[in-house]
Amino acid sequence: MENYVVELLFGGFFALLLLGAPISVALGGAAMGAYMALDKDPIALVQIAFTSVGSFPLMALPAFVLAGALMEAAGISKRLVDLAETLAGPITGGLGAATVLACLFFGAISGSGPATTAAVGMLMIPAMTRRGYNRAYASAVTASSGGLGIIIPPSIPMVIFGISALGMAAPPEAIEKYGEFASLSIPKLFIAGVMPGLVMASALLVMNYFISRKKGYRGLTERWSPQDVGAAARKGVWSILAPFIILGGIYTGMFTPTESAIVAIFYTLFVGLFIHRELKFKAALKALRTTTWITGRVLLILFTATAFGRLLVETRIPVLIAESMLSFTSNLYLVWTLIILFLLFVGMFMETLAAIMILTPVLLPIMYTMGADPTHVGIVVICALSIGFQTPPLGENLFVASGIGGETVERIVVKVLPFVFVSTVALFLIAFFPKLSLWLPGLLGY
Amino acid sequence: MSSNRKFLHFIDNLETMVCEALLAMFVLLLFVQVMARQLFGYSFAWTEELSTYMFIWFAYLGAVVAAKMSAHNRVTFHLQFMPKVVAKTLTAFADVLWIAFNMYFVYLSYDFVFNRMNAFWKSQTLGVPMKYIYLILPLAFTLMSVRILINLYLTVVKGEELIDPEAAEIENLKMINRYQTAVSSDDLVDTEAAKARL
Repeated sequence: MENYVVELLFGGFFALLLLGAPISVALGGAAMGAYMALDKDPIALVQIAFTSVGSFPLMALPAFVLAGALMEAAGISKRLVDLAETLAGPITGGLGAATVLACLFFGAISGSGPATTAAVGMLMIPAMTRRGYNRAYASAVTASSGGLGIIIPPSIPMVIFGISALGMAAPPEAIEKYGEFASLSIPKLFIAGVMPGLVMASALLVMNYFISRKKGYRGLTERWSPQDVGAAARKGVWSILAPFIILGGIYTGMFTPTESAIVAIFYTLFVGLFIHRELKFKAALKALRTTTWITGRVLLILFTATAFGRLLVETRIPVLIAESMLSFTSNLYLVWTLIILFLLFVGMFMETLAAIMILTPVLLPIMYTMGADPTHVGIVVICALSIGFQTPPLGENLFVASGIGGETVERIVVKVLPFVFVSTVALFLIAFFPKLSLWLPGLLGY
Repeated sequence: MSSNRKFLHFIDNLETMVCEALLAMFVLLLFVQVMARQLFGYSFAWTEELSTYMFIWFAYLGAVVAAKMSAHNRVTFHLQFMPKVVAKTLTAFADVLWIAFNMYFVYLSYDFVFNRMNAFWKSQTLGVPMKYIYLILPLAFTLMSVRILINLYLTVVKGEELIDPEAAEIENLKMINRYQTAVSSDDLVDTEAAKARL
């Protein structure tokens, strides 16, 4: 009977997916079918629809989406990119390095990968091509650094992971074996993402340096100009303040993540209207509209993924998978390797947030039974899926970069491969050394 | 005629406008709450509940808006290898299944709200009957089905191609890019000009 449910759930899910049904419908349809087959009262679906979406921490999602859209319209992003450009100065491949830096800065105010690619690429890809960079290479650097947007906090995928994982206690067997697990929270994930984000960025910088040296991509200027850096910093002072307000508020415990996003919205409105004076009413309205459809589609998936995940957990499927995995190997590194390869594969085909909501109920219990820390698991999942932004066929960043740079996706893919390679190496480091993620939260007392 | 069209346009954008209003309101509400707490050490008991319920309404109506814009993400990689007619038929069939799912869910949630739920169940701080708050579920899934039907009519009967907002955004970027190369600009100001034009 139990196995029959597994086939029904996954069979229904994949059948609907192959037909071209939206992911939310594939999950919901499969769950509904399982409810009928098990003769369970489907009224539980109504309760799940209400309780899964009606949670206060989840309001961080629309708030961060709105804040990011407004920052673009308020000229905050542009000034950050300008600053990164002057900082990179005369370094070999300086503009490529500046792109990575700009994505790092921008990642600290935006929670989304494609948004980071668009905001940075809009300015950097034309700048690089004017300086003699290969157009496909310029697009590839941007597409691969855009993924940093979701690793450097604040991060929308971390909010979603936190919410998916918060409702799941560690299985009793695992607690018996490893003792009580460290707690998980969205602010803790936000701190844990900092170091891994820097590791991923360094990997990209190193690769950019070597390629630029080989191709002879020179720096922007002959040497650093303190005046230019100073001028860019002065102009961008309000933009630089934004991450401090968002993250400082969360880390000091003044605001919850939701509240900090709300404060960021009003900070952006203030800067956009009274200081930069660039924010137009029409652009603000468009930001509201974008937030509406993004939230609507994500939360419909959240509802159906919760129903789907609850059925999986009730039928103890994750534990069964974990047991069969353990009978095959109990080597944590091997399990991480398998999971990373699986995540990279899923990232090629599925949108990040959907993947997180579907996979967390399965992956997290498995990793609990392996004794892994839940925060570390979240960071590895997010880093792995961030690589999915730059891998075809569904690499959102590739398409955004192609749209901006005017180069075909195929040509960008060729140039993006070295970056995918170094990112994957960095990802394995992050997975194999949990300290990279957990050191900073530990230092700050989380 | 023109007032008629205006009316239709109004109806067509109703969910979108309601969503935008709800979003703006709960964001403002939360901001007032944060400011009141941080500056005056005062917190309202009811803001969290009210904003959460507004958020639920916003989220499900937002799912209707996303259906209207055909923004709900699908896995389409394999479809490009099929003949166009086959891919289109499959997707249309999937949409019919989607409507069936919605209709059953409407039945379930309607039944829950009007028959199964305790009619005297009220929200904790506001005292609003929960019935009215849950009403969004049957309402949104009905509206969503209407939107899917309209889109099916447009694609199958009228043969239109519906473009999801992400693809539209990329097309938009391409146009800016084409404009830039056309004027062979070497100044970033042109990006802004092109954006303003679009």
